Amino acid sequence: MAHFAHYREAHPLPFIIFHYINLGAFLTLVISGIFIHFPYLPNVMGMARGAHITAGIVLIINLIIRIFLALFVDTATSPGTRQKEKEIKAWLPQLENRHQFIPWIKYYLFIKKDHPLTAKFNPLQKFAYMFLPFSFIFMAITGFAMWGPTMNWIVCETFTNLVGGLMNVRIIHYFMMFVNVIFLIIHLYMVITEGGIPLIKLMFLQREHGGYTYDTTTHSISGKDEKEYPKLLS
Amino acid sequence: MDEKVLTSQFEDLLASRGVTRRGFLQLCGTIAAATGLAHVTVPDVAHALEESVIGAAEGNLFPVIWIEGASCTGCTEAFAQIDQPDPATVVLEMISCNYNETLSFAAGHSMEEAKAQTIKQCAGKYVLVYEGALLEGWDGWALRVAEETGVNAFLEAAESAFGVVALGSCAVNGGWMGSKKTPAGAIGCQALMAKHGIETPVTNIPGCPANPEWLVAVLVDVVMMGILPELNIDNKPSLIFEQAVHENCQRRGHFENGEFVYKFGSEEEKKGFCLYAMGCRGPQTKANCGIVRYNHRRSWCIEAGSPCIGCCEANPLDASHNWVDVNAPFHERHRDLRIGNWVVQPRTIGLAAVALTAIGVIIHGFGMKASGRLEDIRFEKQREWDAKHPDSAIGDYTADRIIIHADGTEEVVPADVFEKMQDAEYEQSMKKIGAAAASAVATGSATAQDAVETAEETARTSIDDAEAKTAEDVENAIEEEIDETKGGQE
Repeated sequence: MAHFAHYREAHPLPFIIFHYINLGAFLTLVISGIFIHFPYLPNVMGMARGAHITAGIVLIINLIIRIFLALFVDTATSPGTRQKEKEIKAWLPQLENRHQFIPWIKYYLFIKKDHPLTAKFNPLQKFAYMFLPFSFIFMAITGFAMWGPTMNWIVCETFTNLVGGLMNVRIIHYFMMFVNVIFLIIHLYMVITEGGIPLIKLMFLQREHGGYTYDTTTHSISGKDEKEYPKLLS
Repeated sequence: MDEKVLTSQFEDLLASRGVTRRGFLQLCGTIAAATGLAHVTVPDVAHALEESVIGAAEGNLFPVIWIEGASCTGCTEAFAQIDQPDPATVVLEMISCNYNETLSFAAGHSMEEAKAQTIKQCAGKYVLVYEGALLEGWDGWALRVAEETGVNAFLEAAESAFGVVALGSCAVNGGWMGSKKTPAGAIGCQALMAKHGIETPVTNIPGCPANPEWLVAVLVDVVMMGILPELNIDNKPSLIFEQAVHENCQRRGHFENGEFVYKFGSEEEKKGFCLYAMGCRGPQTKANCGIVRYNHRRSWCIEAGSPCIGCCEANPLDASHNWVDVNAPFHERHRDLRIGNWVVQPRTIGLAAVALTAIGVIIHGFGMKASGRLEDIRFEKQREWDAKHPDSAIGDYTADRIIIHADGTEEVVPADVFEKMQDAEYEQSMKKIGAAAASAVATGSATAQDAVETAEETARTSIDDAEAKTAEDVENAIEEEIDETKGGQE
C-alpha cells in the first residue's frame, strides 16, 4: 500500500482539538439551521436558534484561535515527515506545490496516472482551505446581519445595504450553507479516498501509521517506514 | 396671562372639533412615545401643536403641498378613512394644505395657481408631501396635470421646499411599479432629485399604505419643531424603522416556542400561532408596526392573521429593490430568483448543487475504483516540471533512501533500486485487483458475462500506463483466470 506515513507531527494536539470543535459547531450549525429554515419540527425553534447562534460564535472564536495557532505551532508541513516548521507555511504557497497545480488536476481527471508529489496540502486543497475561513467569516456577517441584537451593527448594516436588503442577505446565507455542505462532501470524499482509515485514525485518535517518508530538504521521497505502530493511544 | 388666553383659545378650537384637552394630551403622548422621539417630551409636542394651531388661527400655518404621483391614493385614504373627529385629523388640519388633488375642494386653474403661489411665496418654508411613484417612462409624458409632466411638477415643487416627505413605498423607490417588468420607469423621490442635483432634504416613509401616525410624527418634527427627525442610512426616520417587525411582534412567543401556522384555516391558525412558516417577512422588515399599529392602534396585519409581506422594504436609490420584487411570492420562505425566463426558488438551486456534487463524487469514486487507486497508488518518480526542466528542478531525487524495517533496523538503498521496489510493489497490488475482479465473476450468476467484461475493462484501465512487458503479463494472468471462471460457470 503506497501511501505516505501518517505521523502525529502533521496534526498536533491543538489542531485535533480545533478540528473536533469545528466539526461539532459545523454540524450543529447545519442541523439547527435546517430546523430554523424549515420549521417543521415542532417546539424546537427557540433551542435551534440558541444552538445556531452559540455554535456560530464558537466557530468564529475557534477560527480566530486557529489562525493564531498557525503562527505559533510547529507542524510537519509535508506529508510523511517528522520535520517541523511553523504551520502558517502550509497555508501559503510552498516549494513542494510549485508547478504542481496542473498535474493534480490531470491526476483527478484520470489523465495522469502517477500520484503527484505534494506538500501537506496539495494546491487544490490550499484553495479550498483558504476559502473556508473567508466563508466562515462571511457566514458570520450574514448571520449577524439577520439577528435582531446585531443587525444594526455598522458592519452588518453596511453589508445588508451593499447586497440590497435582508432578503438577499438571507438568500446568500442560505446558499453559502450549501457551499459549505458541498465542501464537507468533497472533504469527506477526499479524506476517504486519499487518506483512508489511517488518516482518520490520526486525525481523531492520534494513531500513527507507517508508509513512505518524505524529506523537506531534498523535496522528495526519502524512504519507507515499515514499523508496526501500536494500535492504542499513547 | 398671555399663556392662559392662548390656552383657552386653543381649547376652544379643540372643543369645536369635538376633541377634549385630555384627548389632545393623549395624542401628544402617543406621538412622543410611539415614534420614540427621545429628544422630545410630551409638553414640547403639546407646545408645538398649540403654537401651530394658534398660528392657524392667525393665518400663519405651515404650508404643505401634497402631490399625487403614480399612486393608488391608498396613503391618502389611510388619512381620510377616519370615522370620528380624531386627534390626528386635528394635527393634519393644523397644516395649511394648499394643494391636494384628492382632498381639496377647489379644482382646475385656481388650484394650480394656489400651488404656484405657495412655491413662489413660501420658498424654503413649505413641506412637499409626495405620494406615489414618479414615472420616467414614455419620455416623461405620464402624470400630466395642467400641461406639465409629473416629473417636472415634482422637481419644481421639491426644489424650493423646506423638506420633501416621500410618503408610501411608491414615493420612496417606485414601489411595485419599479419592477423591471413594467415600462413605466418608476423611480422614487430621492433618486430623481439626486439625478437632477436637487439637495432638499428627503424624509422617506415607506409602507403600503404608510401609517398615518408616522407622517404625523415626521410633521411634528419637520414642520412644527422645525427640525429634521434623525434619519438612518436610507433617510427613513431611524426610530421608526430601526427594529424588525419580528422584534416587537405579539406572536413572537409562539415563534420562540416553535408553534407555527402551516396552513390557513387550521387549528394552529385559530390559536394565533406564529406565521413564520407561512412566509412572514417580519424577521427581515424594519418598521415599528407592532407598536404603532393601524387604524387608531386598533389592529395591524399580523394581529389580523396575515403574515407580514414586507411592504416597508424600500431602498430609496434602487427601484429594482422594491418591496414586491424583493418579497414575492409572499407565502414562500424566499423571493423568487429569475434567471432569464426561469423563475426558481433558491431552495431548488441549493439542493440541485448538493445533489450534483454528490453524483459527481460518486462517479469519481467509480473512476477511482476502476483505476485501482483505492487499492494502491504509485507516486511519480519526480515532479512533471522537474522531468522537463532539470536545470530548475525543485526536488533532488538521487539521494539514497532509507527503509525502516518492522523491527526498527534501518537499511540504506540507492535511489534507483528503491524506485524499482516501488514499481514492483505497485504491480503486485494491481495483480491482486485483477484476481479480485476475476473472483467476483466467479461468485456472480445471471450477469456473469457483464461482470467479466467489467473486470477486463477495470484491469485494462489500471494497467494502461504500466510498462509494456508487465502489462502483458498481468493481462495474460487475468485472461487466464477469466477463462477458468467461465469454464466453471458453464
